Amino acid sequence: MQGLNRRFEVIVVGAGPAGLSAAYILAKKGFHVVLLERGRGVGSKQVFGGRVYSSLLERVFGSLGDAPIHRWVRRERLSIINGERMLTVEYISGGKYSFTTYLGQLASWMAGKAVEAGAIIVDEVRVDRILVEDNSVVGVESGGDTLKADVVVDAEGANRLLLEELGLVEKPRPSDMALGVKEVIKLGEEKIDERFGLRSGEGAAWILAGSVSAYTPGGGFIYTNKDSVSIGVVVSLESGGLVEEPYRLVESMRLNPLLKDIWREGDIIEYSAHLVPERSVRLIPSKLALNNFLVVGDAAGLLLNTGYTIRGVDYAAYSGYLAANAIVEAEEKYGSYSEEVLRRLYEERLKRSMVFRDIARHKAVEMIWENPTMIKQYAALLLDTLGGLYELGESTPSLRETFKNARRKNKVSLIRVMADLVHGVMKA
Amino acid sequence: MTSIGDKPLRVDDLLQRNVWDVDHRPHITVDTEKCRLCEAKPCITTCPAGCYILAGNKVVFSYEGCLECGACRLICPYNAVKWSYPLSGKGVQYRFS
Repeated sequence: MQGLNRRFEVIVVGAGPAGLSAAYILAKKGFHVVLLERGRGVGSKQVFGGRVYSSLLERVFGSLGDAPIHRWVRRERLSIINGERMLTVEYISGGKYSFTTYLGQLASWMAGKAVEAGAIIVDEVRVDRILVEDNSVVGVESGGDTLKADVVVDAEGANRLLLEELGLVEKPRPSDMALGVKEVIKLGEEKIDERFGLRSGEGAAWILAGSVSAYTPGGGFIYTNKDSVSIGVVVSLESGGLVEEPYRLVESMRLNPLLKDIWREGDIIEYSAHLVPERSVRLIPSKLALNNFLVVGDAAGLLLNTGYTIRGVDYAAYSGYLAANAIVEAEEKYGSYSEEVLRRLYEERLKRSMVFRDIARHKAVEMIWENPTMIKQYAALLLDTLGGLYELGESTPSLRETFKNARRKNKVSLIRVMADLVHGVMKA
Repeated sequence: MTSIGDKPLRVDDLLQRNVWDVDHRPHITVDTEKCRLCEAKPCITTCPAGCYILAGNKVVFSYEGCLECGACRLICPYNAVKWSYPLSGKGVQYRFS
């Protein structure tokens, strides 16, 4: 950090969607902001699943006209796979709600906006510690150098080394986090259009459960980028370790007989991994602000996995936006970044927002979806029932009969099914 | 463009698809003395980069292929993993994720 002699009002740690959004808004309001990023350039350490919801992003950045949007998601698919059988539900959307991209590209686009607004981004700087004096954050430390500022925004991401060192959070239990592994397969734009039934510029988002992820809690995902396909699995970390190595899981998904022809002739151009803050409710810090200090994005545990979709990037951007606005208002109205002021202007507003309320609301759904025995049993029950209806020999059994046979075969009582159904609907 | 074929790739083959600038300074160190006490050794099956391998009954760790996910830090029951990110922008250089 040598050469950073200028006095900055705000230091942002981490150039992901949360940190970049905060830096952009603050710079636009005339604050002297420096953003410190450990990677080389912006985006070189960024990993996500593949899809971004646009609405909150537009709230932060205005028009997405020049954003690196690969495809607008038109086809939403949800599949359950059990051995050689698969049930797929497809919804074709009429509007533009979410798009696919590479997160590194999106981060670079955000960085362009932030720099244009006057923010300074310094890369290849790993922040080692948040500096505290007299119970207040005063800056950061990196490689023995210190950099001071009036307020620090922590956007360090899912691995909260700084927050743990600061004592604001504990090291998460493995079961609170999931591990996502992903392959990007280059296939070519036309082949993608053809094989997914897409028109030019349209995309598909596909969530898969069942044997495709070896029934481990979590599931598989497929997203179409412009000329590549991102495929991967998200598995909950359990304290005993994973049953099967993550690269074997993603490779067996790539080679699954029901799927492999989709990316036939494709080539793997990247293999990545990232932690997913899965049990958000347990991961959100007890306080999202301290004196002169705010926490945003994955570091704040802001991610939602409903079972049919995963949302994180837009939440991160929105939390960065709220944090930046809180800093602006704290300066204007109170001339103070005290914990009390920042919690009122940032934490309370975040907690009243849809983002936060949705995260709290959906936690029960996560639990059901993540129950591996339940996924396995119901995948078999559902596919045995459909198999009974469609795979006809001499007789043509009724739905009632095939369902009964499937229940018997999988040892699921009718009462269990009804109880689970009611339970699921009530909690959803 | 080469086709990837019908055989599962080994983890090393997957890692070779990425761009790397490996640091000579390890960003993660493992106190393998502690690993001797560990029955489960959950790091072996959890690391997505296969950085932890079993040689006989010993855990052997190499940082070079690390994808910087942080799973080993959480999964280790003996706190044997001293975990950080690489310095100076080194390590894996993602382009398409």
